[in-house]
Parts: sequence; C-alpha cells; structure tokens
Amino acid sequence: MNTVMLSRFQFALTAMFHILWPVLTIGLSLFLVLNEALWIKTRDPDYYRHARFWAKLFILNFGIGVATGVPLEFEFGTNWAPFSRAMGNFFGNILGFEGAMAFMLEAGFLGIMLFGWRRVAPKIHLFATSMVALGASLSAFWIMVANSWMQSPAGGVMRDGRFIVTSYTRAIFNPYALWSVGHMWFACLETSLLVIGAISAYYIRRGEASSFFLKSLKLVIIAGLVVAPMQIFLGDGSGRVIFQYQPTKGAAIEGHWKTNPPGSAAAWALVAWPSAQKQKNLWAIKIPGVLSLLATHRLTGRVLGLRAFPRRDQPPALPLLFYAFRLMVAIGFYIFGLMLWSIWLWWRNKLRPESISQNRLWLGTWMSALPLGYLAVECGWIVREVGRQPWIVQGIMRTAQGASRLNPGVVVFSSIGYLILYAILFVTFVLFFRRIIHQGPDLTLVPPHLAPDTPLVGEPPREAQHPLDEP
Amino acid sequence: MSAATHLLGNIWYGLIGIILALYVVLDGFTLGVGMLSLFSPTDARRSVLMGTLGSVWDANETWLVLLGGALFGAFPAAYALLLHALYIPIALMLFGLVLRASSFEFREHARNKRLWNLLFALASFTVALAQGLALGTVLQGIPAHHDHFTGSILGWIAPFPIVVAAGVTAGYALLGSTYLVLRTDGIIQERARRASFGLALMTFLAAATVTIWTPFLYPAVAGKWFGVPTLYLIAPLPLLAVGAFWILVRALRQHREVTPFVATVTIFLASFAGLAVSLHPDIVPPTLTVSEAAASPLTLVFMLAGIGLLLPIMMVYNGYQYLVFRGKVTTGSGYPH
Repeated sequence: MNTVMLSRFQFALTAMFHILWPVLTIGLSLFLVLNEALWIKTRDPDYYRHARFWAKLFILNFGIGVATGVPLEFEFGTNWAPFSRAMGNFFGNILGFEGAMAFMLEAGFLGIMLFGWRRVAPKIHLFATSMVALGASLSAFWIMVANSWMQSPAGGVMRDGRFIVTSYTRAIFNPYALWSVGHMWFACLETSLLVIGAISAYYIRRGEASSFFLKSLKLVIIAGLVVAPMQIFLGDGSGRVIFQYQPTKGAAIEGHWKTNPPGSAAAWALVAWPSAQKQKNLWAIKIPGVLSLLATHRLTGRVLGLRAFPRRDQPPALPLLFYAFRLMVAIGFYIFGLMLWSIWLWWRNKLRPESISQNRLWLGTWMSALPLGYLAVECGWIVREVGRQPWIVQGIMRTAQGASRLNPGVVVFSSIGYLILYAILFVTFVLFFRRIIHQGPDLTLVPPHLAPDTPLVGEPPREAQHPLDEP
Repeated sequence: MSAATHLLGNIWYGLIGIILALYVVLDGFTLGVGMLSLFSPTDARRSVLMGTLGSVWDANETWLVLLGGALFGAFPAAYALLLHALYIPIALMLFGLVLRASSFEFREHARNKRLWNLLFALASFTVALAQGLALGTVLQGIPAHHDHFTGSILGWIAPFPIVVAAGVTAGYALLGSTYLVLRTDGIIQERARRASFGLALMTFLAAATVTIWTPFLYPAVAGKWFGVPTLYLIAPLPLLAVGAFWILVRALRQHREVTPFVATVTIFLASFAGLAVSLHPDIVPPTLTVSEAAASPLTLVFMLAGIGLLLPIMMVYNGYQYLVFRGKVTTGSGYPH
C-alpha cells in the first residue's frame, strides 16, 4: 500500500470511529435539556431522575467523543499537509470557528452540567445544559459546513495553488451546506431517539420501572414522528444536489452507467452489481423511469451516467457505494415505519404501564433498533466520502495531491496506534455501558428544591464543598 | 506582501500566542497533576488529585483544539509544515490525549480505579513529553523548501529537543504541584509543597540551559538578544522569570497557598513571551515568516470577528466555571452516581 491509501485508511478509521460518539452527544444533550425543562415546569421528580439517569450515559459517551475528536483536527496537518496549505484559508478558518464557537462552549459549561447540581440554581443548571447542547449542535453545523465545501466548493478562487475566499456567504452557504447540516443533525436526533427508545424498551420489557420508562419512550415516539419523516425529506434533498454538483457520485451510488437520452427517463436499479472494469452492471433489477424522478423530480430529467466520465474521475469501490446507500435509505424508512406502528399503538391506548410489557414483539423491535441509526450514519459517511473520490475537494484538488509525502512506515505506526487504542475504548465502553444499564435509574433520588425562597446559590455548606456532594 | 497581510498576520501571531499561553498554563497544570498522581501512595489520595481536575480538564484541553483550528485558518502554511514535520511527536501526543480523556471518564465508572488512575498518569506523561519534544524540534529549526518539509521525520531525536522535553515536563509538574498547594490541604498539600522545590530546581536548570543554548542555534536570535534596542525589550523577561523563581521558593518556604501557583504561571508566561519575541518574525524557524504563512487578509479579518471577539467571552465563561468550583477539594471526585 502506498502512503495515500494508508493515510486514507487512517482517516477513515479515525473519522468513522469518532462519529459514533458525537451523534449521541448531540441528541442526548437535547434530551437532557428537555427533561430538565419538563422537571422545572411540571415539578414531576421523574423528569429530574430521567435527566440524572441519561446523564450517566451522556458522560461515558461524551468522554470518548472528545478523546477521539482531537486527533481529527491535527490529522489534516500531519497526513494531508498539501491540502491544508492549499485550502486552509477557508477550511482551517471553519475548523477554528468550530473550536471557538462550539467546542469551547460545550466544554466551558460541561463541568457545571455534570457536577454543579448542588452548586448552582436549577435554572442556571438548565442554562449550562442548554449551552452544552447548543455547543454540540453548533459543532455539527461548522463541521458539516467544512465538509460540504469539500463536496461543492464555492465562494472563492484558486490563486498560486491556494484557495482564496472572495465571498464568505457563498463559501459557508455552499450548495450542499444547509441540506447536509440538516441531514446530519437529524441523523444525530434520530440515532439518539433510537438509543433512548431501545433502552427504555429494554427496561419496560423486563418489567422494571415500566411507568418511568414509558415516559421517556413516549417522548421518543412524539419526537420520532417529526424526526423520521423529516429525515427522509432531507435525505431526498441531499440526494438531489448530488446529481447536480457531483454527478459521478450520484451515478456511482445508483449504479447508473449510461446517460438517458433527451425525452426518455432513466431507470433505477433496485439491486445490481456494478463493475468498474466492465463499465456496466454485471446484473441488475431495474425499475423503469424511477431514477429521473428521484434525482431530478422530473419525469424525464437527465441523469448523467458514469460512462460520461473518464475512469480516472470515477469513484472507487462501486458495490460498496451502491449498497451503503441502499442500506441507509432502507433504515430511514424502517424507522419511520416503527414510529407509525408506535403511534398507532398509542392511539389505540395500548401504551399503558400495566399491560405494555406484554407486547414483547413491539418492545423487541424497539430494542433491536438501537444500532440502526449508527449503521445509517456510517453508510452515509461512506456514500459521502468514498463517493467524493478521487477528489479531496471536488473538481479542484485530487486526494493524491492533498496527501503528505510521508514514509509509509510512520503512517502504519500511527494507524496501528489508533487501531489498538480505539479497540480498547470500544470494548471498555461496552463494559461500562452494560454496567450503567444494569444499575438502572435511581428512583429514590430527591430533586433539589425548586422553591424560589430556598437559598440555592452562594456559599454551600462546608461538607458540600467537593464534587461528591451528590445524594 | 501587502501591508494588510503584514499587520493582520502579526495580530494573529499575538492572538495565537495568547491561546497557546492559555493552553500551556491550563493544560500544563492538568497534565502536571496527572503526572504527580503517579507518585501518590494510595488510590484514595490519587482520587483527590483527580478531584481537583474533574470540572475543568475538558475545558482546559479545549484550548488546544482552538489553537489547532486558529493556526490552521490563520497560518495554513505553518500548520501544514509544523504538523507534517512533527508527525511522530504529534501522534504520541494525540495517543496520550485520547488515553487521558478516556481513562479519566472510565475511572468514574470503574470499581477498581487503580488501572485507570495509572493509565491517566502515564498518558499525562506521554503528552507532556511529546509536547516538549515538539517544542524542542521547532526551536531547533524545521528544514523546508517552498513551505514543504525537507527534513527528517525523526528530527526530534536530538539532544536539544530532549532537554526541552525534560524542561517542559518538569515545568508542567511544577504547575501541577503548585496548583495542588492551592486546591488541596493536609497531607496532600504538604507533599505537593515539598515536591515543588525539586521541580522548581529542575525547571530552572532546564530553562537556563535552553536560554543559553538557543542563541547558538540561530545567529538571528543572538543578534536580537545582544543588539540594541531589542536587548532592552527582551532583557526584562529573563529578569522577570528569575524574580518569579525567587518568589516561588520563598513563598513555598512560607507555606503560602496562592503565591506559588501565581509565581509559576509568571515563569511560564515570561519564558513564553521570550520565545515569541525571539522567534518573530519567524513563525516556523528558520524559513517561514509570519507574513509568508498568513492567510489572505479577508480570512484573517473574518477570523478576527469570529474568534478574536469571542476570546474574551470564552475567558469569562471558563472563569465562571472555575468560580463555581472554587475552594479546597478534600475527597475524591466522582460524577454523581
């Protein structure tokens, strides 16, 4: 393997592992905000206990997210130095914005959110949690802006081998930006809803704290009814811009080889096996006319085929792209179906704490949905990043030009280091995750006073001066 | 090179200097406490040490993330050249940071905390050493041609970077021990106070060695140090550092709690300012200057609005977090379970 491939492997490894954690951080932090707000509004202690229970999972997840995120920011320099030098004017600037506006906000209020329950008033605590959630979501915004710009660069010119920004509005709000930010943010929400829903279903199925976890499951269903269809809409929009700005990617994910002649509609391959060598599908089951509709929303819209491009401009790993895309889409519809099934049960008044644990099929379906969001996110990453190849910045710089000229040995060294570290992190996470689930929520937890005349701020008593001052 | 680029480049050189200084001091004491925890005799005491970090370590590390992003945007050529040249020290630092963050989180959930405490301490050591090696390698000079790295990827294996690494590690440990004097009491505070003397001596020796060695590496630096008027600009800094060392040792003898940490921070800031002034106008010595590495004026202005203006706000809310958790830490940290 050459250095470029090794650096690509390392980036894929570190990015695909990292993305597992922020998706839950983003969604779960909003869920914590919701529960804290509901507690302050309704004074129902169960919402407080929910906030405290899910915060345990949040912390465990957050730590790994932070730990694995830092290397990414430096990998652009270590492994992609020519790319960084050429594109830093915009790309580096945006990463800097992420650090200043998002990451710092998240970190600056995290301590209060985690340890501050007895040190600040509940409303200040809610504010701190909200800032953590806002920081996490802003982080997704800036990262997706930077990534979108690599897919559909805009707002500047290349001068002396460097990208010089001429319009920040056009560079930030590049053609992909809003679709991509929305699609990723909703992916975070949907993945988190599935995790919260699956864990809640697990406890209900075991008959433990059924009414307590029915509260969280019902919140998830309400949110899911909005999030799941919205995500399908955003996915469709994100797909259509691909055919406009990255026709090679669009053709690759659909196994589409020949441009449809004017006046005719392009057929859509439901399943196929695309072969780069033969420049066609080895076999395919096609549905006439559908691809034009999907890609352009017009009956006979023109969809460029892969053969319209020289092979050196075509993405690699065509079957991977083809099936990763299909798996992602299938998961999106499956989750929507699950939400419809759930609301139907609710509407028929079947979601009652005393009887719900008997619907084992429904609860089991919820439990098995836990990894689906993650799987869809990884598939989406493959579609987006492998589909962009052979470009590092679409149409402007090739991936091979963007890679640092390093001895392959040092890249092997760092890749193996990450591989070992991340394997340890994953196994340990699973062990502690199981422990948190085994311990379950503390249903006897007494919330701090909400009455306005209770002294909450100011000097806490001496024995409460350390972080162990929790009930 | 336009005047705008020159001016904006130098403003950003200053801002990145401030961010780097904040990172070095804040994560310096965090790493220092981490390293010192290796020498704690019991896990209970080690837990108190970790307790002083619980609410702040993540925010402290975040200054490094901000530094990376700001350098990438404001000086893309310097970011690319530095990280390429420092591939191995940076990789070691990142491994250490990954391990430090995760072992800190995992120990909160673990019943047997010994393993995670140990990993936390070892990771802190790795990060401190790697950062020292990186600094030493940069001071030694990064060979480049047209902004592209032309040196050896093993350039950090040399006497000068190793001395610098020893100095940075001892300095971080000193920041850590004086921070513990500030934040703990009883036996833990007393042990930290005693350790501070030796660490101060080690830091002083390493800093003095580096200060004497550096002008021999660069004629340009020597010219500045021994030329007029730059001499008058630079000379107060080593004097300030020596004065701070003297105050530090005296304050430790007098069992003061706040002064040792303040004095140590002063030593760091003085040394840091000395380096920044000596290297300028180079951002990556000996070939890449601030103006050459700077991004376009529009980018630098845009970043000034987006990051420069936020910097004071970041300091305020980070300061608020310190305020909420002020006071002595007497038992081990724990996330609420």
